[in-house]
Amino acid sequence: MSDSATHHEDGHKSLIIDNKKLLMWLFLGSDCMFFGTLISTHLIYRKLNPEEFDPTSMFSLELTSFSTFILLMSSFLMALAVSAMHKGQIKSFRRNTVGVIFFGLIFLACQVYEFTEFAHLGLTLESGTFGSTFYLMTGTHGVHVAIGVFWLICMLFYSYTGKMDAHESAVDVEVAGLYWHFVDIVWIIIFTVVYLIEFIGKV
Amino acid sequence: MSEADYNPLPVSPEADHSAENERYHVFVNLALALAAITGVELVLVYLPINTVFIFTVLVSLSLFKFAAVIAWFMHLIYDKLLLTLAFGTGLAIAAGTYTALLFIMSNEYVAPPEIPGM
Repeated sequence: MSDSATHHEDGHKSLIIDNKKLLMWLFLGSDCMFFGTLISTHLIYRKLNPEEFDPTSMFSLELTSFSTFILLMSSFLMALAVSAMHKGQIKSFRRNTVGVIFFGLIFLACQVYEFTEFAHLGLTLESGTFGSTFYLMTGTHGVHVAIGVFWLICMLFYSYTGKMDAHESAVDVEVAGLYWHFVDIVWIIIFTVVYLIEFIGKV
Repeated sequence: MSEADYNPLPVSPEADHSAENERYHVFVNLALALAAITGVELVLVYLPINTVFIFTVLVSLSLFKFAAVIAWFMHLIYDKLLLTLAFGTGLAIAAGTYTALLFIMSNEYVAPPEIPGM
């Protein structure tokens, strides 16, 4: 149920929250714990074994910054897509969703390129705790992005079936948007604590 | 069904277009701010200044970006408090997990314990 729909006819605000939206927020809360554990594990092992591996020789800040920028802009387009759906503007929704999908695919391509480069330079899942925790964390995030892209592609195709309803579909798009924004905020944290901090005082 | 039959979608009568239009400007400004902050973060790591200062600023900027996306892009400031609590609980547990692990896995703690009589 949308925000505006939570108002009764007499003008009083009700406590009704759409079930899908509530469920998504609960899921995102649990996913927060999941990523919190993955990031924590990486940081703790990095602290325990600081000499094991120096990632600054391998990380490309330019590429990662570009990926971050792309993901942030995809979040912006997602917010516009949700807004368009609330206004019933299906064409605007499609345009923005195509943008989000495109940016999501660019992000995934950057990640595949980065992983391939790292593997060629000798950083693999078996090459130590740094490799294990790094690939597990960023790989899990990548899987989340891939799921988000797939979800949005499905929504885009669904919008062409003519079965979309202004109210219900607005909630569905909003829920997909919440998931996409979450993927973005997780990357905001990973970008800083895994990539940027490694370079402090080393460049 | 042809495109013209259902495009644009039938808008629900309670849809508040003015609020959505106002949010558009907020979204544009926020996107510009997020892009600018990312640029500042990138420049910061190359500056030859105090590392503790850079670390603090980077973490602060990251937290600001994190909170801004949740608040405006995810509409949390426009939504019910219950949703903030649902997400905040997960976030608090995640932060608590990191803090607990940091103490449990500190170098001193993982040192082999002394066994009496050996």
